[in-house]
Amino acid sequence: MTVPEILFHDVSKFYGEVLGVNKVELRILPGITSLVGPNGSGKTTLMNLLTGLIHPDRGTIMVRGLSPRDPERLMRITGYATQYDTAPRGTTGFDFVSTGLIVAGNTKKQAADLAWKALEHIGMTEAAHRKVASYSKGMRQRVRLAQAIAGDPDVLVLDEPLNGLDPLIRAETVALFQDFAAQGRHVILSSHVLQEVDIISDRVIFISNGMIVAEGEIRGVREEIHEHPSQYMIRCRDASRVASLLFGQDHITEVKLHDDRLGLLVMTRDRVAFSRALTGIALDGHTIESVMAVDANVDALYKYLIGGSE
Amino acid sequence: MNAVFRIRQTWIIARLLLRRVFLFRRSSWVYLLAMFPAVVFLAHGIQMKIQNQWTPSRVTPSALLESIREGAREDEVIEKAGIPIKDRSFQSKQKKQLRNMEYFDGERWWFLSFRDGILQYKHNQKLVDFTKDRLAFAGMFQFYYLRLAIFFGCLGIFANLFRGEMLDKTLHFWFLAPARREVLLAGKYLASVIAALLVFTVGAVLGFAMMLWPHHAAQVTAYWQDQGLSHLFSYISAAALGCMGYGSIFLAFGLLFRNPIFPSIVILFWENINGVLPTWLQKLSVLHYAQSLCPVPVPTNDSMPVLIRLLISPADPPSTFTAIFGFIILTALVLWVTSRIVRRLEINYNTE
Ligand SMILES: Nc1ncnc2c1ncn2[C@@H]1O[C@H](COP(=O)(O)OP(=O)(O)O)[C@@H](O)[C@H]1O
Ligand SMILES: [Mg+2]
Repeated sequence: MTVPEILFHDVSKFYGEVLGVNKVELRILPGITSLVGPNGSGKTTLMNLLTGLIHPDRGTIMVRGLSPRDPERLMRITGYATQYDTAPRGTTGFDFVSTGLIVAGNTKKQAADLAWKALEHIGMTEAAHRKVASYSKGMRQRVRLAQAIAGDPDVLVLDEPLNGLDPLIRAETVALFQDFAAQGRHVILSSHVLQEVDIISDRVIFISNGMIVAEGEIRGVREEIHEHPSQYMIRCRDASRVASLLFGQDHITEVKLHDDRLGLLVMTRDRVAFSRALTGIALDGHTIESVMAVDANVDALYKYLIGGSE
Repeated sequence: MNAVFRIRQTWIIARLLLRRVFLFRRSSWVYLLAMFPAVVFLAHGIQMKIQNQWTPSRVTPSALLESIREGAREDEVIEKAGIPIKDRSFQSKQKKQLRNMEYFDGERWWFLSFRDGILQYKHNQKLVDFTKDRLAFAGMFQFYYLRLAIFFGCLGIFANLFRGEMLDKTLHFWFLAPARREVLLAGKYLASVIAALLVFTVGAVLGFAMMLWPHHAAQVTAYWQDQGLSHLFSYISAAALGCMGYGSIFLAFGLLFRNPIFPSIVILFWENINGVLPTWLQKLSVLHYAQSLCPVPVPTNDSMPVLIRLLISPADPPSTFTAIFGFIILTALVLWVTSRIVRRLEINYNTE
C-alpha cells in the first residue's frame, strides 16, 4: 500500500491583485509538518486551500486521494482549527464541537460522547456549556483544537495553534500532536516563529511572500539554529519573582522586566532548557499567562536557513 | 453517501439552524411586522367592546330616522326624532352655522350634519360591522401583509443567509462540516422557510382571530361553518406562497449581489406596478400568484383611482394549481442557480 500523502501541484491563488500563494509544489507525508513564515506570507492561504475554504486559481490539490472540492468526504477525515476566532452566535463550546459530528451523521448521543471526549482531552469541560463568545482568547484557541480533533481525523490542520498558549497547556498540546503523528496521521501546523515549532516538527516548510523558499527535515539545521540566542516575551502576574527565578539559570543571558511589572523579556541560549525551567516555575504555582517567542531578526534567520539549504 | 443520507443531512442542518433562528434577537423586527395586523385588530376589537358597553339606553326607531330626508330643517328633525344623544354646534370659517346631531337606533349610530339649519348629509354606521371588518382584514392582508410585511420580512431573513455569516466571520464553521455545499444551502433554505412560514402564518391566523373576536358568537359560528375555515386556509396558503416566493428571490439576491437592497427595491417596485403590466408580464411576479389565493377580494368602487383598481384586481388570476406549480418551479430554479454559486463561494473575510 502506498503512503497517504497531501499533494499540491502548481497551485496559485490570487486575491484579486494580491498574491496569496504562487506555484506551490508540495508533497507532504504523514507526521508533523510545520509551515513557517512571517505574517502575510501565505500560511493561512495554504491551509484554506487544503481544506476547501478557498479554491486555487491554478493547479490541483489532493488530500489523501480526496479533492478539497468534496467537503462531504474530505471533512470526514480532516479537522481544521482555523485562525478565525468567531463561532456562530449563541454557540456554547459544546455545541461548537458537537455540531460537525451531528452533521456527519452521528446520533446526538454519539456526537455528545465524542465531543465530550475531545473537550476532556483539551481540558475544556468546565467551560463547555458557556458561550464561546464569553471565552478568553486562549480558551477559544483550545475549543477550536477540540473541534478539530473531535472527529478523530487523519489530517489535522492547525493554524498558529501554539500562539499565546501558556507553557503547561502548550506542552500538553504538543504531546497531542505527537500522539496523532505517531499513528501515521498528518499533522500540519503553522507558525510565524520557527523556535515555536522546530523541535516538534518532522518537517518544516518555509514560506515567504507566497512562495515555498525552503523545505525539508529540520534536524540537520537544528543544531546550528540552536546557537542563535532566542528571545521570549512572558506575561505573568509576579513578573519580578519569575525574573529572579529565571536569572539563576546559566542558559539565560538577559532578563528585562517590563515597566508595568506584568511581563518580562528573556534571552536564552538553550530553548529546551528554558522551556523546562519555565514549566518548573509554572508548576511551583506562579501563574504564567502567556509565552511568546520573539525573534528580533526573523529575516536574518531565514536568509541563514535558505542559504544553508542551497 | 447517497441521496437518503443527504436529505437526512439537510434536515439535520435545518434543525440545528432553526434552534438558532428563533433565538435571534436581530430578527425581532420580523415578529413585529408579522404581528402588526393582530395588534391593530385587537385594538379595534377593544375599542368596539368599550363602545358597546357605552351604548345609550335611549333608542330612536330606525324607521323614523330613515324617513328623515336631506333638506329637512333642524326643528323638524328634533320634533320628529326627539332630542339627539349628541349635539354640537359651531361656526365655519365662512361664517356658516354648522350643527352635528347623533342618534342611536339600537344597532347603528346615525350622523346628521346641518348647515344654516338645513340637513345636508345623513349617514349611519353599524356599531359592530362584521362584513366591514372582514373586508378590512382582506385589505390589510393584501396591501400590508403580502406587499410589505412578508416582503421585508423575507428580505431580512433570506438575503442574509450567507452574507450575514460572512460578515460575522462564522461561515467557515459550516463550510468545514462534512456536507456538500448544496446540502448546506438546502438546509439553510429549509430552516429559513420554516421560520418565515411559522412567523407569518401565525401572524395571519392571530390577525384573523383578532378580527373575529369582538363579533357576536352566533355570527362568527355561522361564518366559520360557511366560508370562514376555507378563507382562513386561503390566507395561510397565500402567506405561505409569499414567503416561499420572496424567500427564493432574496436568497438568490443575497448571493448574487454585494448589496441586495437596491435590486430588492426594484423588485418591490416591480411587484407593485405589476397589475398594470401586460398579462404575460404579470405572470412574472410573486404577488400575482399569492394574491390569487386571497379569498376575499378587496372591494373596488368607482371612486378609487383606476390605477389602484387595476393593481388589486389582476386581469387574469391563475388557478390555485398554476400558482402552486409556479412557485415550485421558481424555488427549484433558484436553488439550482444558487447552489452553483455556493459551490464556488470562498471564505473571504479579509476584504469585507
Ligand atoms: N481574503 C483576502 N483578500 C485579500 N488578500 C488576502 C486575503 N487573505 C489573505 N490575503 C493576502 O494574502 C497574503 C497571504 O495571507 P495569509 O495566507 O493570511 O498569510 P499568513 O497566514 O501567512 O499570515 C497576504 O498578503 C494577505 O494580505
Ligand atoms: Mg495566517
